[in-house]
Amino acid sequence: MSAIWAEGLVKHFDEVRAVDGIDLDIAPGTIFGFLGQNGSGKTTTIRMLTTLLRPTAGSARVDGLDIRDDARAVRRRIGVALQEAGLDDIQTGRELLTLQARLFGLGGGARRRRVDELLAIVDLEDAADRAIGTYSGGMKRRLDLAAALVHGPGILFLDEPTTGLDPVSREAIWRYVTRLSAEDGITVFLTTQYLEEADRLAHDLAIIDEGRIIARGSPAEMKASIGTDVVTVEVPAADALDRAAEVAAGVAGVERVQIADGAAVIYVPDGARAVARVVIALDDAGIEVGDVGISRPSLDDVFLEATGHHLRVEEPSAAEGGAA
Amino acid sequence: MQSLTTVYFLTLRSLREAVRNPAQEAGNVLIPLFFFAVTVGSIGSIAGDAFGVDNFTGFQVPVAILAAASSISASAGLGTITDIQRGYFDKLLLTPAPRSAIVLGRITADGVRTVLITAFIVGVGLVFGTGFDTGVPGLLVLLLGSFGFGMAYSGFNAAIALRTGSPQAAAAGGLLLFPLIFLSTAFAPKEVFADWLQVLATINPITYVLEAQRALIIDGWDGLDLLRGAAATLGFSIASFTLTLLALRWRTS
Repeated sequence: MSAIWAEGLVKHFDEVRAVDGIDLDIAPGTIFGFLGQNGSGKTTTIRMLTTLLRPTAGSARVDGLDIRDDARAVRRRIGVALQEAGLDDIQTGRELLTLQARLFGLGGGARRRRVDELLAIVDLEDAADRAIGTYSGGMKRRLDLAAALVHGPGILFLDEPTTGLDPVSREAIWRYVTRLSAEDGITVFLTTQYLEEADRLAHDLAIIDEGRIIARGSPAEMKASIGTDVVTVEVPAADALDRAAEVAAGVAGVERVQIADGAAVIYVPDGARAVARVVIALDDAGIEVGDVGISRPSLDDVFLEATGHHLRVEEPSAAEGGAA
Repeated sequence: MQSLTTVYFLTLRSLREAVRNPAQEAGNVLIPLFFFAVTVGSIGSIAGDAFGVDNFTGFQVPVAILAAASSISASAGLGTITDIQRGYFDKLLLTPAPRSAIVLGRITADGVRTVLITAFIVGVGLVFGTGFDTGVPGLLVLLLGSFGFGMAYSGFNAAIALRTGSPQAAAAGGLLLFPLIFLSTAFAPKEVFADWLQVLATINPITYVLEAQRALIIDGWDGLDLLRGAAATLGFSIASFTLTLLALRWRTS
């Protein structure tokens, strides 16, 4: 049985098709990465799967339970940490976890043990009895993760868990997520706009753009699907870009060329050998060449190939983020 | 059973929030008492001759109680907005707790806060000589009525908060009661009103809430007044909880 399954999931907000027919089939115990830029439909999808929003159309099952008909039972089986760490600044960390545990029906000694255990897991024992309002952004994210785990869910939804965090806090969250999957067998549905995060954590990955899944597979499979090296040639004169792409496409061995962010992105099997031929051809055509780079295919290249544009990462303001 | 435990734990959480916000609670008490003092000080001495109310201080105690309920519910509306904006409301919705119980937790806490402030205002009134005609049993009935009205009025603000998500709208929601107070018998008996105002005061449910409270404080046991006050409070409750549930359904659809 799939941990998460969806067919034709759609959500409209008036005229806006935020999610436009998504199919999912996620195996138990895996980390599933849902990669896309802001506004692509990631959060709306997660809000539907976690029963916070009713789909406009389509169906979905979480741990075998229908998200419409068995919503409360679904909520018993999932843990969720949404994009904004959903916390109450006036409570202490321990009070928040205790209340959360009570609402999930944990009683007495089991509740106290679980709260202590989670505070230790997310390294918040020393701050447990301080008001959450005094926590840094990274501490809030860790507490939010602990709150999502308080009832021992089998499936964990994390909506951009590291957005706005500093590298140390990000690394800590990655470590927890990896451990949850590897040691506890928890299925993790993780949305992210960070290529590195998707590449590092996800066993399986889907790229979403404008409400639709446009690529699917493991990060390694996706990158292998590009099948070539990537040569990026910057062209300072914007009006020469189309001509540069045309010239590069005519160079021997070049499989395809895309234009993105003022550069010609050239897919070619042997980049190191081809780069000289490409530059000479452009020079012969009278096109000025800026910086030139060669790389192995990345998830950004996969994203570019599928969407025609690079993945644009939007960071929250400094006040929203925070240190560990 | 799960609904009751959810309401209980979330009521405790909201009360804890109130205790940790003493400045806000002080405002909920001091502002109604300020208007109480000013009203009694300005027209209390002529109330007996002008419209036959000898114990005008006692006559004004219920107005202070309703003003306090209004102030409490406004701050609770803002609390709901804060929960929504911080994402904590979503965290509560993601538990298996019944969603109506989640909203009812904060509303019940407002009822409790109204009871506590009512007791304080009655105490202040006693210090200034209002007396309490129906004694301890009457006080218990007054506190019970305040609990019901506090919850009912809080429901309106919860509905506004859930539907709009706007702090400004939530703050304005607390002021909605004031026109109803001014169009009731808050400051004088209905008999001295102009005809048009008499009509409005007669159809205004706040009039009956005030008169039931006044009966307990200065007139003695009056079954009809108490019945009308209870009916008005019940009507408020049904209307406000219906709106709250509709707003909750809208927010989660």
